[in-house]
Amino acid sequence: MPDPTPGAATDPGAAPQRTRLAWRRTGLSAAAVALLSVRPAFSPGAGPPEWLAAAGAMICWAALVGIALHRAPGLRAPVPAVVPRSIRAYALITVALAALAGWVVML
Amino acid sequence: MLGDLTLWFDPERSSKVGTTPDYRFSLANERTFLAWIRTGLALIAGGLACAQFLPPLPIEHLREIISILLLLLGGLVALRAVDHWARTERAMRLGVDLPRSRFPAVLALVVAVGAVALIVAVLVQVF
Repeated sequence: MPDPTPGAATDPGAAPQRTRLAWRRTGLSAAAVALLSVRPAFSPGAGPPEWLAAAGAMICWAALVGIALHRAPGLRAPVPAVVPRSIRAYALITVALAALAGWVVML
Repeated sequence: MLGDLTLWFDPERSSKVGTTPDYRFSLANERTFLAWIRTGLALIAGGLACAQFLPPLPIEHLREIISILLLLLGGLVALRAVDHWARTERAMRLGVDLPRSRFPAVLALVVAVGAVALIVAVLVQVF
């Protein structure tokens, strides 16, 4: 493997690994939000609005985990590149999750 | 601000200005972004938890108002996270000072004021 940056030998892959774990941790946080959004769908009086909200939350959560998985191979490169598109998509899906949660609260 | 917005929606532009910084700095910026996203997700989870687990409060709809405020705050944190990421990335490419921000302090104040207000509400209910 080429030595791309001066001093890289003193930091053998720790930064990419920390970043990968940060993506994973964020996915777990998203799972907590998704589970709370899905919860009303399993209450006795649940109807189509609750089911739709649950489906939306699951789609958002799957997208967030998918982006993290998509990012992982890029972090294995000798010189990982920045991914503006993934980062923007991640933030916007998080906002969508917030909007969906607002709908769940108002139901 | 408008320049920052075009930076957001034009993925190519941010990678053309200046020179590529050490990738470890970019990864650190990415981790900071993710930490802010987690903060936003925690606020969203808090909003949902308020709506689902708080008992009805003495003021009508106060529970829903608290929830919606937390959700709005969570969404704002996520949007601000990506904006700050883009501006930091640009500053690193141009070799200028990293962007300063009052946002963390404002967020801390908002959360602290909210916590004090809730404590007052609980005390009013108890006595």
